[in-house]
Amino acid sequence: MDRPIFHFALAALVALLLPFFIRSGTLATEVLVFAIAAAGCNLLLGYTGLLSFGQGIFFGLGSYTLGLALIHTTLPLLPTLVLAMIVGSVVAIVIGALSIRRQGVYFVMLTLAFAQLFYFLAYTFSDITGGDNGLIGIPRRGIGPLALNSSWSYYGFVAVIFLISFAALQRIATSTFGRTLLAIRYNGERAQAIGFPVRAFKIAAFAVSGAVTGLAGALHALLIGIAPLSDIDYHMSESLLVMTIIGGTGNLFGSVLGAAFYLIVSDTLSAIWPRWLLLLGALLIVLALFIQKGIWGLIESGVGIVRGRRGGPDAMAPGVSGSERP
Amino acid sequence: MIYLFQLMNGIGLGMLYFLLAVGLSVIFGLLHFVNFAHGAFYLLGAYLCYALLQYGVGFWGALVLAAIIVAAIAAVVETGLLKRIYRLDHMYHIVATIGLALMIQEIVIIVWGPVGSSVPAPKALTGAIMLGHFIYPEYRLFVIGFTAVLAAILWWVLEGTRLGAVVRAGSESTDMVSLLGYDINRINTAVFALGAGLAGLAGALAAPIRGVDPFMGVEALAVAFVVVVIGGMGSYTGALIAGLLVGIVQSLMTTLWPAGASLAIYIAMVLVVLVMPRGLLGRA
Repeated sequence: MDRPIFHFALAALVALLLPFFIRSGTLATEVLVFAIAAAGCNLLLGYTGLLSFGQGIFFGLGSYTLGLALIHTTLPLLPTLVLAMIVGSVVAIVIGALSIRRQGVYFVMLTLAFAQLFYFLAYTFSDITGGDNGLIGIPRRGIGPLALNSSWSYYGFVAVIFLISFAALQRIATSTFGRTLLAIRYNGERAQAIGFPVRAFKIAAFAVSGAVTGLAGALHALLIGIAPLSDIDYHMSESLLVMTIIGGTGNLFGSVLGAAFYLIVSDTLSAIWPRWLLLLGALLIVLALFIQKGIWGLIESGVGIVRGRRGGPDAMAPGVSGSERP
Repeated sequence: MIYLFQLMNGIGLGMLYFLLAVGLSVIFGLLHFVNFAHGAFYLLGAYLCYALLQYGVGFWGALVLAAIIVAAIAAVVETGLLKRIYRLDHMYHIVATIGLALMIQEIVIIVWGPVGSSVPAPKALTGAIMLGHFIYPEYRLFVIGFTAVLAAILWWVLEGTRLGAVVRAGSESTDMVSLLGYDINRINTAVFALGAGLAGLAGALAAPIRGVDPFMGVEALAVAFVVVVIGGMGSYTGALIAGLLVGIVQSLMTTLWPAGASLAIYIAMVLVVLVMPRGLLGRA
């Protein structure tokens, strides 16, 4: 149940099965795009213990970078995506380096304030970003002979990128680097004392997370044909965090579940009742009180009960957020 | 002269930011709890003021009642919900209070609709006075005076009374305060209600200036965070100085570069953080 290959197979299964369950190609693509972004958020939150409210910055910058590059240059699609990753990563390094100077709640507030700074930058410099209207008219270029015009052909393209990103993040999470991040999350002071350059590791985690989130933002802009201001606002950061936490932190496949749950439920509910956010609010409170390990945690304990043992190995980890039960 | 005018506006705005931020700061100082629903209490205060005025309650009544109702709701929420999650990681504090903020915001929309409204200033204060060559609205002067008195009372409560001493001691060590025989649960509830009530009052005071709309809470939350980051967490004086600084910078920028007025306060924050990571008056 904890082997990476098993989780990768689950992710591939989700990518394969989504088209059978969701009629709208746009929604299905959105699930994978946000799964990438939530997994990027999870690398910071679940593996490094950094609750970053700035994920929307990297997401939005990815959207704008792709939009500007495709509108103003003749660059092919793939280099544009790489460019979005680089921009996301570089900005994440700067914001990460400034924010980790403070810890805990202060860190959270700093990243949130940075998110507002970038939102107002995008809002103020509307000559470049289109301001409130968003950056409109982004062409969806194909790759060589492959046209991506139909929504399901684009889904296929995003699915491939999703699986590559998922595998790459898994690789990172299970590497020595990823293990060190976990050590920092569980006990930063001890990791520091042992001699790990904790600061550098945290910044590196930011760099990876920024790149992945920038990629997701770029794919999102390409999906809807505009880079909207909402890609970089406070609510984007909040949604990405919520997806990550709903899915379960510290488990990359949990983020896929979280994104799928959030998007499908919100799509269904918002069609029925415009005030569905009230229910989301209630769900978040229930989550904090009773389901602290998210959907993945529920599945794990469900499997545990079936197998006749309680919880996964993570339940043994000391001092981890969520290990305390009410 | 325009700068004097904007300076006055900035002081008024800054005092409202102070009210908003000092509650957040004190709650954090004592409870080590980051309250993402703080902006929602501000929103609720503004709408309650608006509704009470519509029901014909006088302005003073609306102001006081709005603050008291918000404080009471906060006390109920604290006892019923937040108390259960204090000992968890702050990730869960944030999730729960984001949920709470969403619920309050949606309830406001259900009750009062998604479109904002303007709120009339009280009749006695609708006039304007001459300030040199400028006409200055009386209501804004009243806000400056009223919040200044309130800030003084609050300072006295925190520094001069037994409750204030317990609160300050509690932010050093809750265990020690409990051992000395104080019921820390009741103090927590009182402080949380006080902080939320101040946010509600700030919302009620701001309503006649900026009107009400369901999304004013998010905006206020972000500003309150900036004030706390600049001023330093848990510091009364820091919140006052930073609140005024942010208010004045924002107002002056409205004249110099209207499009960038909101941007300016976040740039100011980044500059302060670069030079002093703990904020102006933050403790280690």
